[in-house]
Amino acid sequence: MRPLPTLPAAFLKPSGELLPAPLLELRKQRGTALVDMPLPTRRTENWKYSSRYLKLTEDLATALPMGGSASNNLATPGYKVVFLNGIVVPEASEFPEFEGLSVQRFGDLSTEEATELAARLDSTLNSKFAQLSLLNTARFEDGLLIRLKPETIVDQPLFIIHEITAGATGSAYPRIFVDAGHHSQITLVEEFISDGSGAAMINAVIEFDLADSARVTSIHLNMEGNNVQHIGATGVRQQRSSWFESHAVGFGGPLRRHDLMVRLEGDGAECKLNGVVVAQDRQHYDNHITVEHIGTNCNSWETYRNIAADQSHIVFNGRIHIHQDAQKSNADMSNKNLLLSSGAEIDTKPELEIYADDVKCAHGATVGQLDKESLFYLVTRGIGRRDASVLLTMAFINELVSEIPIEAVRDTAQVRLNQFFDQAFQEV
Amino acid sequence: MLSIKNLHASVEGKEILKGINLEIKAGEVHAIMGPNGSGKSTLAQVLAGNDAFEVTSGEVTLNGENLLEKATEERARDGVFLAFQYPVEIPGVSNLQFLRTSINTLRKHRGEQEMNAATFMKLARDVSKQVDLDPAFLKRGVNEGFSGGEKKRNEIMQALLLQPSLAILDETDSGLDIDALKVVSDGVNALRANDRAILMVTHYQRLLEYIVPDFVHVLAGGKIVKSGGRELALELEERGYGWLGIREEETADASAN
Repeated sequence: MRPLPTLPAAFLKPSGELLPAPLLELRKQRGTALVDMPLPTRRTENWKYSSRYLKLTEDLATALPMGGSASNNLATPGYKVVFLNGIVVPEASEFPEFEGLSVQRFGDLSTEEATELAARLDSTLNSKFAQLSLLNTARFEDGLLIRLKPETIVDQPLFIIHEITAGATGSAYPRIFVDAGHHSQITLVEEFISDGSGAAMINAVIEFDLADSARVTSIHLNMEGNNVQHIGATGVRQQRSSWFESHAVGFGGPLRRHDLMVRLEGDGAECKLNGVVVAQDRQHYDNHITVEHIGTNCNSWETYRNIAADQSHIVFNGRIHIHQDAQKSNADMSNKNLLLSSGAEIDTKPELEIYADDVKCAHGATVGQLDKESLFYLVTRGIGRRDASVLLTMAFINELVSEIPIEAVRDTAQVRLNQFFDQAFQEV
Repeated sequence: MLSIKNLHASVEGKEILKGINLEIKAGEVHAIMGPNGSGKSTLAQVLAGNDAFEVTSGEVTLNGENLLEKATEERARDGVFLAFQYPVEIPGVSNLQFLRTSINTLRKHRGEQEMNAATFMKLARDVSKQVDLDPAFLKRGVNEGFSGGEKKRNEIMQALLLQPSLAILDETDSGLDIDALKVVSDGVNALRANDRAILMVTHYQRLLEYIVPDFVHVLAGGKIVKSGGRELALELEERGYGWLGIREEETADASAN
């Protein structure tokens, strides 16, 4: 039997030394553990539909150049930290000065703080389901530790812009850890963008640790260009009565893989996970979501809508794991998919593992096309077939887009969605 | 206005319309009556351009232009309006967005300027009230959660808003209680105009008490078997379809809608 392809060794050679010793040590440990890691293939269950899009060639292992100027013009009504090729650009950022909130680069942490952080990194993620998030831990050059003291209610959203300027070929590994004290509240917006046309890969990991009754809203806009592969993971751990809400809008690319893992550990913890994905041409997008119900009386709601045009391929995998002692769990998962062309592909799979007996678990997945009857109704009122198709396609995701709690972000998403509609319906 | 000559149409290979001939002039109101399955709704759908139905022969002209070669949206822009028997619910598209897109598309086609939001809102509110619909419905999804009667009133509201030259009303009276029937009828009567034709398709004579037609046609087995004035409807009411030699059950299976 032919040996499985492994991660090229060059990926395990981080370049910068900006980090405090305990984090350098962690990085080294992870790197050692990943030597000879087999790359996912179509036989790897959680990469079955996506491994063929993953191209971790040796030249991508090079770190993308540091420096350069951030060029985005995104509306960011709030605090802002800009990562360029995985490294924070202080000049382009507006760090918050707000009582109870601290946002520190990893390089600015004391040895004690770094030791504590090193022990917590990866703690929210299940590496069995997000193998490649470990690569981030072996490679990050920079990162943010965001801490909210108990009862701190942050007054404005914090925007984190991840920009890739790919003149050269290479990769970037931004890392964020959010420690939300009890009864604290924050809204965090991550926007991923790129310019340039060089082949690039971004491997971004963010973790949220929510103490009792903390409330965190995470907004995630994935908008890089067709030259950028994106491998991302979001890990969430929730204590008693905490609330985590995420709004993800993703646009397809050569490879788009996002793992979202939520652990409802404390009793009464709740999460609401909304997502919209659109893809066109030969683009790909893969969302893998895991919600683990561990405490009692926890609620989770997942609503994902995917639209695949042309020859694009969208994957949705929704796993709900209700542990034995998680009585009175309520889990609700809905995934609806719209195929705009006969050449498009959608693979959707619910995975339920239920070990408690007193639970409510509802799930539904549909794949369909634009409703002919609705289309006819609209055109009998003079609306052109193309405009009618756009109206109906937008209707499919309107509800989720309108739930994004920040207007400027909704607008950013809508502008991109309109571009998608313009292109997706050119031929109609 | 509308001229239908020897129109044949079928659905999934089954012929439903078997040679319809009908002339409708501007200013006239025509009622087409007939038992279930006679082809009434098919005629309405074919005129509006539903491609689930195949026109196998015959011709239809609107103001001298070949209607059948035009796409549904082009017919609408030329002034054809179909009030559906079963209006579809479209969650996620607001009535407001839908109606504004529609009216502005029609205006653009006529070389008129787009209507601004404020003017449109005023107009939309006015016509809503005319059919007794709470204008708050404008913010909801198209027909979303509407009762049967609300859906019918919404259809007439759209006709009032879009001011078509040919309004085709498909079973607009079905499922309406007497109060709603009056509201809808008032709306349709408000549409009557010298430059507009109205074609009503109905199973019952009841609607014609409120909207008095100039002509009544009886459709059976895909053909118009009798035409007359208003009194024909009354005669049908009294004597049923039997005296015309029509057996309802025989044609019921041909119902396409």
